[in-house]
Amino acid sequence: MTMTKSIPSQALDALYPLFAAATHEASVAMGRWTGGLITLSLDEVREIPLERVCSELGIGDEPSTMVVMPMTGEAGGDMILAFDEVDGRRLASVLLNRPVATSPEWNELERSALCETGNILSCAYLNALTRALNVELIPAPPYFTYDYAAGVIEQALMQQAATADTMLICRTRFRREGAELSWHVFFVPNAEMRERMRLVTSMHLN
Amino acid sequence: MTDCTLLEAAQTMNVGMGQASVGGAECTLQSVLGSCIGLVLHHPRMKYAAMAHVVLPDSAGRDACPAKFADTAVPHLIAELAKLGVPSSGLVAKIAGAASMFGVTGPMQIGESNIAAVRKALQKAGLPIMGENLGGNKGRRVHLNCVTGTYAIEILGQPVVKL
Repeated sequence: MTMTKSIPSQALDALYPLFAAATHEASVAMGRWTGGLITLSLDEVREIPLERVCSELGIGDEPSTMVVMPMTGEAGGDMILAFDEVDGRRLASVLLNRPVATSPEWNELERSALCETGNILSCAYLNALTRALNVELIPAPPYFTYDYAAGVIEQALMQQAATADTMLICRTRFRREGAELSWHVFFVPNAEMRERMRLVTSMHLN
Repeated sequence: MTDCTLLEAAQTMNVGMGQASVGGAECTLQSVLGSCIGLVLHHPRMKYAAMAHVVLPDSAGRDACPAKFADTAVPHLIAELAKLGVPSSGLVAKIAGAASMFGVTGPMQIGESNIAAVRKALQKAGLPIMGENLGGNKGRRVHLNCVTGTYAIEILGQPVVKL
């Protein structure tokens, strides 16, 4: 196992515009998809020690509703859209032009609407990263899950954890008509993507 | 990275990825597991227990972060318990986790490798596995009572399992 170097803070600063551009592209796509209702902004790009990822990101041990969007190709990673159930239900109702569902289980249409939302987000994000890093990225189908968020994040971190003790994570916030939503997108690059980002930023710094 | 945390009496501690904790009197260790394994060693007579949140199967000779890898986590927990006067004879193991959260088409299916590596390390140490709850495609929230060794496992939509 070859361990990769951690990304120094100056390099993280250099990564910020890259993620900001990707987030902007995703925000434009999200605005189009929701009729201007929802926008995104970059929250943070951080390297966090493996054992502190969940505590530092405020991911507790409660269940959460998520759409997971894997990216494959030369490099890759996972995008995880985690959202508050009430806001998720509202978005689904807007997208489906139906009243907010009241059953405890998410129905197939709601799941499909939120997966499509994830798909639109991940494709926009992926396009921006492809251009910035000159790397081929292929989106895999998104899927809907209701589970412990810490467990899902854990799985997404596996490939980075195999080669590093600190984890690179990007977090994005959502707003609905200016008001912040309890939604987040976490982008967790895999080991190849992390290394690619480290090399690109170190070239910029040298 | 913290090697191992020793709990004071009646403390509750979350064991993060790659971490280990040891507890006795009225202590509870808890964690959320995806494809990782929550490895527990318990000494019923001494009433001490330890938990490692094992992330990957093989340390490949690395000394750092012993709780992160299956092959180093087992001897690490044994050594940490020994510091408290808990002998390895009489220790029993319980394991939970190793889900394939992202399904069969996911980017990395590490759960099965983790199971095999933990079992191998426990066999090498001569420790019996007294209970296990492994696999599937859902996360687990686990709680360990360090005195009784009761290892409670919650999977959403299923009854709580106690090992």
